[in-house]
Amino acid sequence: MKNSLKFGWILLLLLVAMASRAQDSSSLYVAQLLHPQSDSVRTHAIGRLVALRIPATFPLLMAINDKKLYLLDNQAITIDGKPSDEEKYRLHRVYPDTRPLHNSSGDPLLLSLSQLKTVDIPRADRLLLLPIAPLFNLYSPDAQKRIQAYGQLTDLQDPQVQKILADVVSKETDYNALRIGKESLYAIQLHTAKNEATAKAYIDSIARNWSDNASALLTAYGSGKAFNTNTANYAIEKAKQLESKYDNLQRIQNLFSGLSLGSILILIALGLSIVYGLAGVINMAHGEFMMIGAYTTYCIQMLFSRGYGDWFFIISLPLSFIVAGLMGLILERLVIRHLYSKPLESLLATWGISLILVQTARLIFGDLTAVKTPQLLAGGWQAAPHLTLPYNRIFIIALTAVMVLLTYLMLFKTKLGLQIRAVTQNRQMSACLGVETRRIAAVTFFIGSGLAGLAGCAITLIGNVVPDMGQTYIVDSFLVVVTGGVGKLAGTIVSGLGIGFFTKISEAFFQAVYGKVFILLFIMLFMQYKPKGLFPDKGRIAEE
Amino acid sequence: MKTNNSSLYYILFIAIFAILLPAGHLSGFLSINTISIWGRYFCFAIAALGIDLIWGYTGILSMCQAFFFCLGSYGIAMHLVLQKTALPDFMVWNKITTLPFFWQPFNSFSLTVILCMLIPAALAFLIGFVLFKSRIKGVYMAIITQALTLAMWLIFLRNETNLGGTNGLTDFKTLLGFDLANTQVKLALYFISFTVLCLAYMACHRITRSKFGKVLQAIRDSESRVSYTAYHTVNFKLAVFVVAALLAAVGGMLYLPQTGIITPGRMDVKASVEMVMWVALGGRGNLKGAVIGALLVNFLYSVCTSWFPDSWLFILGFLFVITVLYFDKGLIGLVTTLRARIGNLYLKTAQTTN
Repeated sequence: MKNSLKFGWILLLLLVAMASRAQDSSSLYVAQLLHPQSDSVRTHAIGRLVALRIPATFPLLMAINDKKLYLLDNQAITIDGKPSDEEKYRLHRVYPDTRPLHNSSGDPLLLSLSQLKTVDIPRADRLLLLPIAPLFNLYSPDAQKRIQAYGQLTDLQDPQVQKILADVVSKETDYNALRIGKESLYAIQLHTAKNEATAKAYIDSIARNWSDNASALLTAYGSGKAFNTNTANYAIEKAKQLESKYDNLQRIQNLFSGLSLGSILILIALGLSIVYGLAGVINMAHGEFMMIGAYTTYCIQMLFSRGYGDWFFIISLPLSFIVAGLMGLILERLVIRHLYSKPLESLLATWGISLILVQTARLIFGDLTAVKTPQLLAGGWQAAPHLTLPYNRIFIIALTAVMVLLTYLMLFKTKLGLQIRAVTQNRQMSACLGVETRRIAAVTFFIGSGLAGLAGCAITLIGNVVPDMGQTYIVDSFLVVVTGGVGKLAGTIVSGLGIGFFTKISEAFFQAVYGKVFILLFIMLFMQYKPKGLFPDKGRIAEE
Repeated sequence: MKTNNSSLYYILFIAIFAILLPAGHLSGFLSINTISIWGRYFCFAIAALGIDLIWGYTGILSMCQAFFFCLGSYGIAMHLVLQKTALPDFMVWNKITTLPFFWQPFNSFSLTVILCMLIPAALAFLIGFVLFKSRIKGVYMAIITQALTLAMWLIFLRNETNLGGTNGLTDFKTLLGFDLANTQVKLALYFISFTVLCLAYMACHRITRSKFGKVLQAIRDSESRVSYTAYHTVNFKLAVFVVAALLAAVGGMLYLPQTGIITPGRMDVKASVEMVMWVALGGRGNLKGAVIGALLVNFLYSVCTSWFPDSWLFILGFLFVITVLYFDKGLIGLVTTLRARIGNLYLKTAQTTN
């Protein structure tokens, strides 16, 4: 009797404690979970924690779910996703609060896995966590995981879930995650809205927030869940507006891709066009100078493999220009100077050189290598929801703009440029007037090849480095030269951009391949009217 | 002197390929595969004759001959595939239940042969008409035809064009009821290719000697002057372009049953430049040179790829450069120069002894 009375008291106290201060009871369950007397106690503790859904326990549950829960001096801790140094991990406490652990001197504490005590939770117990996995993943430090979690949230009618959601959204820092979080919040409020004005306000908020499935959500709301036809129509109309806005943004994105493709073509075709105009040489190996530039970048990345961050790329920009330029100079001295003003012969000879260079690269580097994108150029500029302009493409466009400007200044504002233009116009006459045509041709070849090398360096930002990468661009860049008119700076720019845009636009209508055929047909028709390209030489010059 | 010179080439050629090689096979020295390989080279040589006509004699560098070659091959290949099954395997995999309309005519052999020549000729006429009419020439012509080949290559690579995609068409069994794996059939195909090559050579020879051929060479040397003398150069160029396309297509048609596979790889950028190179190496503007170049480069290719596979591209690239830089007239030109040198020496020594 006495015993049962005592037991009853304890039970009563426990119940009171549980009801009034859930936090304390959670610490009890956490203690049971970390140091269970038996398996059934642990299972029960996990079950209770799942039922209680207290945000303070979420980091701990997340660690269990990820199988990354450890003990250190009786503290529950977890580790970073990746070892930061020589198999040593950074540590974070997960309960009762979350914070990174530091050693006595204030530096982040680094330990290897063998120095930690693993807390083994059987799979059956971990499965208990599944129903609330989206909830605790909302607290994950990984934005991607949070975005997923927002999407997976169920029972949105539950006030506790709503409270957690509101709490998380108010602390959200990631742009994309914030949009999705807000949408979930607005959706809850929209579905519980009791009058037309509030409902419309929330519809507006969802439309303004405009996350990925906003239009689907509004359409679903409009076709059934709305409480009167007025709001239903309003929601559907908003959804349609979003769709058309989205289509417009896709178009802009497409134009942007066209702009960046055009920039690459310009960068390659610039050198090609100058060389052809000046020396009458079709350089089929021009694409290989691009390849050399790309491999220069790759080699420098290898040299810099230990740290130094983005410096490797900054250094490769001038180096790829110089290396490719020097290779061009060697080629000019050995082969091409014999072929001036013999375009068809030079086409065949340089094709042979291109074969040799590609095979050499293949023997040295193997078939596939890649340059990692510098930190600085990772990611993109979020110009609007659903419109991200990648930094690497922006960089390529800017680089092209700078190079075009420099080429323009070189051609039209320097003595060298004057001589280049003179030789382009009339080789014999220039020679008679004292221009060293051979030297000018060599310098031009150096610059032209260097520009291709720079293009190669830029292309490593958006693609792999392969030995025959030059051959994929060479025909296109020749089309640019032909359409623009040989040796014409303005022609190269206009036709490069034109072909770039046109490719991307036609890709939107046809598939990529048919787009290409379409462009070709277009160019053939265009040449009917302008057989000498966009900007032909003025005057009437009889051939031969 | 000159006719004697040529007939020496002819006698050697016929002696080696019509007598020596088949005799070698019959006496057991050469396997039928070697014979078949040479049969394929003859097909390349037929296409090379076309390239020589248009580039060597008319001065138009056309880079789409490989495409016409493949059109011929693909036509025959479609017929052979239909001989085996009503619906090709790859279409079954792509969940296509009825034969596409453009496959239908290839059920009949005679229609196939007609189409294999008609389609390339018609396409060549169309392309040539558009390009020559707008006075596109020289490098512009080369680049545009090159881009055209590239575009066609991309189209043939696609699965939805129903031409077998990257894998191309292969695994043929019979042609007109003859088993293609049979030694006798292979030998017969070899002789057919040889005969067609000889006929094509004779035809091209006649063309180059005719008034038409003279106009072509005049166009090569100075197109404006030819047009100043009231010749319609477009018509001449168009005609020779169609003839060259036909020759390429015929080569492709004969090539297919002997290799047993055709893939878009036969007409990629590499292949189309290489075809031009055969002619450059043998000696352009000389029909014998075109044939010798095609045979020699391909023979070198099979020798090199089996002995030192990594270095073939080096050798080929080097040949490109050397030929263009030093042997402008190709091998034939080299032989002529050497002969002249030796003749001079002989004359000199004869004079000094006198």
